Amino acid sequence: MNSLLEQFLSEARDFLQGIGEKLMQLENDPTSNELMVELFRFVHTLKGNSGLFDFPEMTRVLHASEDLMDAVRDGRVSYSQTLADQLLEAMDFVGMLMDEIEATETISHKHAAPAAELAKALRHLLTADENDSNELDDILTEAVETQLIENSIDFERLPDLNLPEEIGAQLHQHALKGDKVFWLEYTPESDSFFKGEDPFYLMRQVPDVAWRNVILRMNAASLAEMDVFSSQLVYQVLTTAPSEELNDLLRYVPDEYKRIEIPSLVFVKPCGERDSHPVDEEFIQNALALFDTGDNDALIRIINTMLQLTAPDLWSSSLLRWVVRLIEREPNNRAVQRALLESLRTLEMPDWTNLKAVQIPNALSIQTMNSSSESAPKAAPANSDNELLQNFNTIINAQKEILNLSASAGGVWSAGRLKSVGSSIVGCYKTIGRSQDIDSIELALKNALAQNSPAPLLNWLEKSLTNSPELVVASAKSETITNNLAAQNEVKFGRRAEDATGRKIEDAAASSGGNKTLKVDQDKIDRLMSLIGEMVVAKNALPYLAARAETIFGVRDLSREIKAQYAVINRVAEEMQDTIMQVRMLPVSFIFQRFPRMVRDISRKLGKEVDLVLEGESTEADKNIIEALSDPLIHIVRNSLDHGLEQPDVRIAAGKSGNGKLLIRASQESDRVLIEIIDDGKGINPDVIKHKAYEKGLIDEATLERINDQDAVNLVFAAGFSTAEVISDLSGRGVGMDVVRSAVEKVNGTVGIESEVGKGTRLYLSLPLSMAVTNVMIIESNKQIFGVPMDMVVETVRVPRTHIQTIKQKQTTVLRGRIVPLLPLNDLLARGVAQVPNDADEFATLIVRVHGEHVGILVDDFRETVDIILKPMTGILGGLGGYSGAALLGDGSVLLVLNPRELI
Amino acid sequence: MAIEFKKTTVVFTDFIGVEEAETLLEWLLKNPKGKVNLSDCTHIHASSLQVLMAAKPAITSMPKDEDLAIWLNAALTS
Repeated sequence: MNSLLEQFLSEARDFLQGIGEKLMQLENDPTSNELMVELFRFVHTLKGNSGLFDFPEMTRVLHASEDLMDAVRDGRVSYSQTLADQLLEAMDFVGMLMDEIEATETISHKHAAPAAELAKALRHLLTADENDSNELDDILTEAVETQLIENSIDFERLPDLNLPEEIGAQLHQHALKGDKVFWLEYTPESDSFFKGEDPFYLMRQVPDVAWRNVILRMNAASLAEMDVFSSQLVYQVLTTAPSEELNDLLRYVPDEYKRIEIPSLVFVKPCGERDSHPVDEEFIQNALALFDTGDNDALIRIINTMLQLTAPDLWSSSLLRWVVRLIEREPNNRAVQRALLESLRTLEMPDWTNLKAVQIPNALSIQTMNSSSESAPKAAPANSDNELLQNFNTIINAQKEILNLSASAGGVWSAGRLKSVGSSIVGCYKTIGRSQDIDSIELALKNALAQNSPAPLLNWLEKSLTNSPELVVASAKSETITNNLAAQNEVKFGRRAEDATGRKIEDAAASSGGNKTLKVDQDKIDRLMSLIGEMVVAKNALPYLAARAETIFGVRDLSREIKAQYAVINRVAEEMQDTIMQVRMLPVSFIFQRFPRMVRDISRKLGKEVDLVLEGESTEADKNIIEALSDPLIHIVRNSLDHGLEQPDVRIAAGKSGNGKLLIRASQESDRVLIEIIDDGKGINPDVIKHKAYEKGLIDEATLERINDQDAVNLVFAAGFSTAEVISDLSGRGVGMDVVRSAVEKVNGTVGIESEVGKGTRLYLSLPLSMAVTNVMIIESNKQIFGVPMDMVVETVRVPRTHIQTIKQKQTTVLRGRIVPLLPLNDLLARGVAQVPNDADEFATLIVRVHGEHVGILVDDFRETVDIILKPMTGILGGLGGYSGAALLGDGSVLLVLNPRELI
Repeated sequence: MAIEFKKTTVVFTDFIGVEEAETLLEWLLKNPKGKVNLSDCTHIHASSLQVLMAAKPAITSMPKDEDLAIWLNAALTS
């Protein structure tokens, strides 16, 4: 993985975390503008960063989120629970994508659909709330769309494409079979060449192309002025490829193409040379009569006869072939067949729009991938006059554009185009109630057709608009609208570049400012840690050297100097060690920050109301400790939510407030971190626990009778214990608290529980601040030295042999009024040698605390205590019980550190 | 060289990249009657394609590459 991507991933995770956090905070304070701005900045930067890589799915979702946040920030959309849910879901999705990137460095294209869904859902929120500001977009797209539907893109634009009959027939067959036939129109951004794209190559990759076309929309008046490096082509393709394949292929240019599913009827289109004289009326009557009686065989017969008589490349022949084809393929679609037969009289294309209502109610589905049209409500009624006028103008302007286009293009299909433009204009004028103009339009259209030039229509339009001031005003307005839109678009184009560079500048500004944070790989810190460990060991060798200088070589001065030097090195090394420790320190907020979201999700699922209070989030502890803590804590919090806190109605009945309170508090107590999880739920009933434990065979009958309440509550930590009647997805699998305890003990922590029925439960974890430096006491046994962690040592005493009693073959002694079992270390280590007492026949006894009980370990002698860097046993030795690790001593020897907990 | 300018004809071979578009346009402006031989061409970058579409030079032979030929046919003859 390249380092840029690595950095992106690590940063992105931080951002996701931040976004989640901010959303949680917003939930409590939905009006805070500051939070909103920060949230937007997070989403914005994350999106910008993701744009540096090839993850279109991620960028798309983030982009939609950004737009939504932008709207919220500007107050166009109000913050709501659903909005937060949607955003959180989007961020989860992004997180999932990131996991995938981390594992495979790519995103599988199967995520494209969910990404689009999410983006759509986000944008939906945007539009649901935002009808006003998006109006321009809506009107424009709506105008275009209604035009597409009403005037039927299929009958205006596709016929212009002049499909050869065979291809039409083939696609018709396809569409009838239910295979989708898509019409793709791809208009690359004009600067696409500069992005290293080759739109033509992309379009050549479209599979199963049945028909294609490329249109030049030149942006210059003459060839000499042409800017060859700005894309001026529009690519059109009819393809039968599955939509997923198309999505995948075009996933980098989702905003630049339009995809329309073409209904089969569109392909029913006779083509060929126009007949010079009308088709014999008698034949038409015969055919219609046969058609009406339903005698298809006879009808096909006379049509075939007719076909033999006429030239095959005539328009009417083509039409007849279509009739036959339709009778074979869609015998029930009689309206279309009849319309075709009837159009033999006029030799004009039948007007499918009249049939449309019955024929293709749903078939024509427009699926533009263009984001703005996606967000636009499909058929928002133009309720005000102004809106109507604007719509009118947009359509008229579009028609003008088409006319200008045909003026430059000319060619065979301009007649069809003129007619369609004519009918669009007529429709528009009808809608705004200026029916008196219609005759003159039709006249202009006729002229235009006769001259085969759009000029008469254009002229008429100009004249009509200048003669009607109210329309001109609106027209001017619409011009500005279009201009605005163009300007907006330009801004959007520029944004991509700005995102990349602008962000760098932001970063630079941030780094030159107060915020100087370095991201360092943990391995490097660990390496530094082990180096300082070696340094401490090397430093510790100096006193030995000093002693040697004095005793062996007899140079006292040198010895003193070495000691002085040692003091300096010692100070520096200790400071260094401290600093490195601090680098490894993490605030507990690192794990706390996930709780708000978790508590929110779980409490919602359980239908409970919970107020979560976090305290002492800035308390710090070693990274390893913090990380080891995260799973047990999640477990505990879940338990509290599931078992501890009651449903609101139960709580109210018990005289408590409906909202349960969950307090998670971290604090530092000398060299340990204390974490408490306190709820005010129903508490733990010791009787229930006792009996459960008895039922499960965890305790025997005698214990059941004897056990006190606190001990009974502690039974929840026993392996295999579970009180839940039903196993839910939250808890009840019986692997709860004992796992928590072992996880905590693994990092030298302890866990305890206090509970009062009806009042609540307090669970506390006590953990060392750091695992790196361990204070151990060195003891000697059987001429070997061992270390024992000081935090386990309660006291050291010398027990005279006479004070040792043997109870049931176990040695014990009475110390300060309590019986303490004594275990010789040599026995524990199976050395088979008796412990050596001192001259006064006293045994050196180390009193250690194991699981809350005091145990005496008999050793041969005590030595000093030292700070060591404890290295856990690895490899084969890792499986060795009884030792928590090994350390190097100053003189270079290895000290094995015992783990009394496992030993006993 | 993927693009070779002869006296009256320009010959395209293999892949025509984006950078050829400008020279192609210049040549076509200088030789308005210049012809284009595409027979050994396998792909034309969109930039050069639009030059061909705008200048509409005579094509002496279409590409042997069938797919490209179909596309160029659609682009240049409509």
